[in-house]
Amino acid sequence: MFENLAIGFAAFGDPMVWVALVFGAFAGYLIGAIPGLGPSLGVALLIPFTYGMDPVVSIVGLVALYAAAEYGGAITAVLINSPGTAAAVATAWDGYPLTQQGRAGEALSVSIISSGIGIFVSTALLILTAVPLSEFALRFGPGEYFALALVGLSLVAGLSDGSPLKGAVSMGIGLSLATIGLDAQTGVPRFTGGNPEFFEGLPLVPVLLGLYALSEVLFMIEDGPTEKKKSTPVAGIIALPVKTLLGLKTVILRSSVLGYVIGIIPGAGASIASFVSYAFSRRLSKTPERFGKGSLEGVASSEAANNSAVAGALAPLLALGIPGSPTTAVMIGALMVQGIQPGPLLFTRSPEIPYTVFASLWVGVPIMVLIGLAGARIWARVANIPRAAIAAIVAGICFVGAYSSETTMFPVHVMVACGLMGYVLRKLQFPLAPIILAMVLGEMMETNFRRALISAKGDWAIFYTSPLTMLLFTVAVLAFVLPGLAALRARKARAREV
Amino acid sequence: MQSDRMEREEQMKLNNLKKTLVGLASAAMLVLGGSGSVAAQDDWKPSGAVNFVLHTKPGGGVDVFTRTLAKSLEPLIGQSIVVVNAPGGGGATQMAKVRAAAPDGLTLGVNTVTHFTGMLTNLRGTFSPDDFEWIALAQEDPILFFVAKNSELDSITDLVELARANGGEVNIGGFGPVGSMQNIGMTMLEQQAGVKFNWVAFESTPDIIAAVLGGHVDVGVSNLGPALSFFEADRLKGLGVLGEKRLSTLPDMQTFGEQGYDVDTSWIQVRGVFGPKGMPLDLQKQIAHAIHTAMQADGYQKYARSAGVEDSDYGPVEYADFVQRLTRLAEEQLVAAGLVNN
Repeated sequence: MFENLAIGFAAFGDPMVWVALVFGAFAGYLIGAIPGLGPSLGVALLIPFTYGMDPVVSIVGLVALYAAAEYGGAITAVLINSPGTAAAVATAWDGYPLTQQGRAGEALSVSIISSGIGIFVSTALLILTAVPLSEFALRFGPGEYFALALVGLSLVAGLSDGSPLKGAVSMGIGLSLATIGLDAQTGVPRFTGGNPEFFEGLPLVPVLLGLYALSEVLFMIEDGPTEKKKSTPVAGIIALPVKTLLGLKTVILRSSVLGYVIGIIPGAGASIASFVSYAFSRRLSKTPERFGKGSLEGVASSEAANNSAVAGALAPLLALGIPGSPTTAVMIGALMVQGIQPGPLLFTRSPEIPYTVFASLWVGVPIMVLIGLAGARIWARVANIPRAAIAAIVAGICFVGAYSSETTMFPVHVMVACGLMGYVLRKLQFPLAPIILAMVLGEMMETNFRRALISAKGDWAIFYTSPLTMLLFTVAVLAFVLPGLAALRARKARAREV
Repeated sequence: MQSDRMEREEQMKLNNLKKTLVGLASAAMLVLGGSGSVAAQDDWKPSGAVNFVLHTKPGGGVDVFTRTLAKSLEPLIGQSIVVVNAPGGGGATQMAKVRAAAPDGLTLGVNTVTHFTGMLTNLRGTFSPDDFEWIALAQEDPILFFVAKNSELDSITDLVELARANGGEVNIGGFGPVGSMQNIGMTMLEQQAGVKFNWVAFESTPDIIAAVLGGHVDVGVSNLGPALSFFEADRLKGLGVLGEKRLSTLPDMQTFGEQGYDVDTSWIQVRGVFGPKGMPLDLQKQIAHAIHTAMQADGYQKYARSAGVEDSDYGPVEYADFVQRLTRLAEEQLVAAGLVNN
C-alpha cells in the first residue's frame, strides 16, 4: 500500500498535475458558489477539456473540482441563504443567521476549515477501508435503503423548531412533491397534467433556489431598507480564535467519519450525510438551543460531513466501479473517455489511478483551504452590500441559476412557484427544512419500499428478517422517540422549578 | 493580446485544415476500398457548427458516445461539433428541440430504443417517428442476462426451469419500468419459454450490478459495457445474450437462440442519429457516411471495443426500415403487456 501511495505522490512530480489540481480546485470553488451549478455539472463541464490530457492529470483535476465544488455550495448558503446544492442546506440553517449577526467571516472560515479537515480525515479512511467497506455496502438491498431513508427522516423530524404539527405538514408537502413524475416501477405519469416536462420529477435545484433564496428576497422587499448589522471585518488569517476551532474538533471529527460512512452507501450521498451529522451534532451538543440560530457547531458538522462524503462516494467507484453519487457517476464517463474502465479490477490493473486520487485529495486540501480562507475575506464584505442591492442580486442569481441548471424555462417556472410557496409557508411559520429533506429522501424511500415488496412478492418479512434493516429501524425509532422523552423531562423539570 | 488570439485562431484553422485533409484522404480511401459508388464530392460539408442534441445528462453512455464520435467527426467535416445536453421529459425536451430545428443538418439528435418505446407510451400523440428523419445507426448493443458468480444458475434454461418450478418467483433486475427496452426483452423470453419472471426496476446499471452482487435480485439485465469489468474480475456469470451471434468479448456465453429460445434478435439497444423531418435524402446519406467514416478512427475504435458495443453501417434507408421494424415489435409487446391500447 505504501508503495502504491508513493506512486500516487510521485504523480505530483509532473507540473501539469499541479496545474490541474489548482485549476480544478479554483474552478470547483467558483462553480460550487453559483447556485444552479453543482459538482456534477461542474465535472461534466470539465470532461470535454480532459480529452487530450493524460489520464492521471485529468482525474486529479476532476477530483479537485468535485471536492472544491462540494464546498463552494456553502458560500451562498452562508451569505444569502441560497444553498446551491441540497448538501449545503444544513449549512444555511446556521450560516445565514451568523451572517445576519455580522459574523459571516467566522461562518465562512469555520466552513472551509471543517471541509478541509473532513476531506483529510475521510481520505485517510478511504485509503484504509475503501475495498472492505464498499463490499459491505453491497449488502444494502431495497429493504436496507428504505430503512436508511427512514433514519434520515426521523433524525431530522426533531430539527424544526416550533410546532411539531407544522413540521409534519411540511414533511408531507415534501413527500407529496417527491411523487411527481414518471413512476419508476410502472412508468405511469403521476401528477404531471400530461406535461412531459414533469416526467422526471421536480428538479431539486430550482426548488431549493425558490424555497430559500427567492422567498428571502420577498422578505427583504417587505422589510424595506432597514439598518442591518455590519459584518465584522475579518482579522487574522482564519477570522476566529484558535480556541474556538479547538472547541469544534470533536464535532468536526465525528461528522467527518459519519459523512464518509454515509457517503460510501451508493445513493445516500452528501446531502443525507450533512443532514444526519447535523442532527447528531445537535443531539450531542451542550448547547443544542443555539442550533438554527447561528451555531458554529452546526456549520462545522454540515460542512465536514458533506465534504467527507466526497471521499465516501469515491470508495465504491474506485473499489467496484459503482458510483456512490451523481457526480461520481459522471466521473465514470470521464474515465471511460480515457480508456479506463472503473471496476473491481481497477486497483490491480491501474493502481496509479486510485492512489493518485488519494494523494491528490490530500495535496488538494491545503490549496482548497487557502483559496477558501482568502475568499472568506472578500465574501464577508458581500454581506455589507445594502439590502436593496442584495435583493436584486439574489433574485438575479435565482433566475440565472434555475435557467442554467437545464437551459430551459421549465426550472425557472418551478423556481418562481416554489419562491411564492416558500414565502407563504414562512409567513405562516411552517419550517422549510422538512420539505427539502422529504423531497430528497421521499423518492429513495418510495422506490426502495416498492422494490423491496416487489422482489419479495409482497412478503413484508423482507423488512424485519435482515439484521441490518432491523438495526436501522431501531435507530430511526430511537431518533424519533428520544427527543420527545427529553422534551417531556425538560417540561417536568420546569414544572418542578415553578 | 488581440493579435495573439488571432494568431492562435489562424493556427487552429491551419490545424483543422490539416485534420480535414487527412480526414478527407482517409475517407476517400475508405470509399475507394468500399462500394465505390459514393464520390468524394458527396462528403458532408456543413456550413457551420453542428449541434448534437442529447436526451441525457453529461457523463452517461450516450454522452460518452457522442463526445467520442465528435472528436473524430470534427476534423472530417471541418466544423466544430457542439454537444447539447437536453435532459428532461423522458426525451421530450430533446425531441422538441430537434423537431423545431431547420432540416439543414446543423441540428441532429442521438437516439436509443427508449425514444421508440416512449413515442408509443408516455409521449404518444406528442411525438411520432414520422416527425423525424432517421439518418444513421451507429451502435448495436445487445442485452444480456447475468448472475453472481456463486449462483446456481448457469444458463437461460436453468433460469426458465427455476421459474417454472417455483411459479415465477425469480427476480430479474433491469433498467427502467415495465415497458422499458430491457423489460420488453424479458417479456419476449417469457413468451417463448412459457414462464413468468418478476421484474424489479432500477434506475441505473451500476445499481443493477450491485443488487446482483449483493444477492438482492437473482438475475440482472444489462448491456455488456458497464458489466464487462465484472466478468473480467470473475464476479459475474453470463446466462445468455439476446443477439444474432455470441459476443466477441465473452465467447463462452451462448445466445438465447442457441439455448432453444427463439426470441426476435432485432430487439437490441441502439444508438443512432436522427434529424428534423424534411432533410434531403442526399444530405442524410452524406451525414451517415461521415459518421460511419469517423467511427473508423483509432480513438473511436478503442472506445467502442472497451464499451463492448458493435458498430453498425446502416444509412438513412436501412435505418428508417430498422426503426419501423423496431417500432412494430415494441408496439406488439406493449399491447401484449397491456401498456398500450391499440
